[in-house]
Amino acid sequence: MKKNIFLYSALLIFGLIAPFIFPAFKVQLSILCVLIVLAITWNIQGGEMGYNSFGNILFYGLGMYLCASVQVGMFFPLAEWTESGGEKTFVHTPVQFFQGIAVGLAVAAVIPAIVAGLIGYSILGLRGHYFAIGTLGLGVAAGEISGGIEIIGAGQGFTTPPFPNVGSLEARGEFFYYCSFVALVLTFIAVKSIYSTRFKLVLNAIRDNEDKAEAMGIQTMKYKIIGWMISAFFCGLAGGIMGGLVGYIDSTDVAFDGREMGVFMVLMAILGGKGTLWGPVIGATIFHIFKEGFWTFFLGWQYVALGVLIVVIVIYFPEGIMGWLREKYPEKFGEVVDEADRKAQVELK
Amino acid sequence: MKKIYKFALILLSTLGLILGNTSTSFSKVEGDKIILGAAVSLTGKYSSNGVHTQNGYNMAVDRINSMGGVKVGGKTYKFDIIYYDDESNPKRAAQLAERLISQDGVEFMLGPYSSGLTKAMAPVTEKYGVPMVEANGASRSLFTKGYKYLFAVLAPANLYLDVAIRTAVELNGGKGVKIAQAFEQDAFSQDVRLGILDAAKETGSEIIIDDKLPKELNDMAATLAKVKATKPDVLVVSGHTKGALTAIRQISEMQVDVPMLAMTHCDAAKLSKQHGKNAQYALCASQWHKTLTYKDKWFKDGMTYDKDFNEMFGYAPPYQAAESSAALLVFKDAFERANSFDQKKVRDALAATDMQTFYGNIKFAPGGQNVSKPMVLFQVICDSSGKCENKVVAPLKWASAKLIHPMPKWSER
Repeated sequence: MKKNIFLYSALLIFGLIAPFIFPAFKVQLSILCVLIVLAITWNIQGGEMGYNSFGNILFYGLGMYLCASVQVGMFFPLAEWTESGGEKTFVHTPVQFFQGIAVGLAVAAVIPAIVAGLIGYSILGLRGHYFAIGTLGLGVAAGEISGGIEIIGAGQGFTTPPFPNVGSLEARGEFFYYCSFVALVLTFIAVKSIYSTRFKLVLNAIRDNEDKAEAMGIQTMKYKIIGWMISAFFCGLAGGIMGGLVGYIDSTDVAFDGREMGVFMVLMAILGGKGTLWGPVIGATIFHIFKEGFWTFFLGWQYVALGVLIVVIVIYFPEGIMGWLREKYPEKFGEVVDEADRKAQVELK
Repeated sequence: MKKIYKFALILLSTLGLILGNTSTSFSKVEGDKIILGAAVSLTGKYSSNGVHTQNGYNMAVDRINSMGGVKVGGKTYKFDIIYYDDESNPKRAAQLAERLISQDGVEFMLGPYSSGLTKAMAPVTEKYGVPMVEANGASRSLFTKGYKYLFAVLAPANLYLDVAIRTAVELNGGKGVKIAQAFEQDAFSQDVRLGILDAAKETGSEIIIDDKLPKELNDMAATLAKVKATKPDVLVVSGHTKGALTAIRQISEMQVDVPMLAMTHCDAAKLSKQHGKNAQYALCASQWHKTLTYKDKWFKDGMTYDKDFNEMFGYAPPYQAAESSAALLVFKDAFERANSFDQKKVRDALAATDMQTFYGNIKFAPGGQNVSKPMVLFQVICDSSGKCENKVVAPLKWASAKLIHPMPKWSER
């Protein structure tokens, strides 16, 4: 336990001082935090519950649009802001900006969770491949629909309120980094604490055999919906922060970006090892470093390199990095290996 | 469990080392090089236009460097560009702008391809006070935000097809016409749409079909079916390169008869080559055409630019390449007039730009858009041997052919 506290406080301190150690990488670090949040929340469905969701991007995009709309709508007429791609410009005072983003982020987290609860009842009735395809449709549909809604900018996109002129040039980067870092810490604590309760066991029971779990008297639908709402809450929060960070929301390329973010969150969780707490964190970190590297060194070929990485993951690490470690060092994961028994089995062969 | 913690710690320290090592920053001027930053779309839906943009930049860098470079403070400098691939994605473009400025230390930027990406990058360059000369972001809303460091060498998007509507009205004896329009859901095309709405209002024209097309569009049969049924006077389509290709392909397949077809991006899509006679009579808005009579001392004129570009890259330059080349000429001119690498001074010099290039006259309005260069309209016209060419038909000053109107019916072709 002592070691745990040591590790967590080391990571926390590292997170807090990171923007000062790597001042030029604040944006990348913020994005890393967002990616980890997405991977952790995806893992609740994909890893623990065995429901491979491609629809979590819906909550991310929803959060992004909601946060920006609240930020603008609280002080100015939203329709005029977005009309013809934001021809009129209203300037937020620093107080308005920070009030707006605080309320905006709260809304960006709560509403997607409610939406998840509402649509969950029908979508989560699907199982296996049907669930994956159904959720894939959710993200695509949301992108196309939001691209036609005039009040949020439609095809013109939505320029989020610019960061006010306070502090130094670095203030914006620092602000969004700490927002995303706090979101990451909150997500981690929340997920870690629910994983230590019966809730996780129920999710695992659903993954292993849903019918049996139901026969044992577990109301599986209730747990599936709650699990999805928790994911949606943090996905929405991450989306809201990302919207402010990017500064420009486009319906299919930035918000409901199923082709990139929607797939990345799955990849990261699988790379790290789904069904583990640390897997998504490690997976997202490695993925982000690789992606940034490919991007710099294989200009124009980055997707080919990324494809090779995916192939390598699937062939050599089908259970992810954590799964691979667990197989190699089972005793480190608290699994007792009876040496005499193992030897006996080897001799039998 | 200990192993995992160790692993995590090793991972973090590796991350630290990698980040620590790569953060050596370049400076804007290294030795005799002026380093410009650019994120262009080398992959994704805008990749063909991204490449035109990059080729345009490279051609101008080559030319300026080989003709003596840029003279600032009595010393000669050469241009160099750091490129990144923005993958046609605004999110990435914003990140790359940040990366070019804060990691690579770039102090002067060239624009990306498309309005959406420029919209994502402009707030970043503006925040850092980095002058950006862009050649491919035409959306009107870019110039109403009060950006001080953004300069565009092209005419705003709402003017693209304005001329086409006015011409149609004129040919209709000054009476309003019936317009059918279909636009991709992106910043640029939506702005072209606003221009049409304005023109329709002023000329008393009626819009009978107003469709939105998805991004990555490859089908507009539904719109065309409506066009067949309602018989408008003008059909307007805008959706970058893919929009132009899809429209021509399906119009010819479905044999849609319409008196006037007005589009954007015909030359970038190489319509006259790819679709030949099927593309005939299409009217296209263009920022530039090789037959225009503008001149400068680097590229001489449009015809020479066309020839040199063809030699270097093996295809005729679309206007996206020409305007990109012009952006470098503007930068060179501004550096020399500012006689300094101070960002503020260069910005002021850019704002005071008043020059002629092979691509057109360049003078910036306070919003940053180029106000002294009109759009041209060309028509795809084929000769009897089936060879098709883009000929300028409006404005009359540069017209090399007469507008063929109305388009002959498919049954008569």
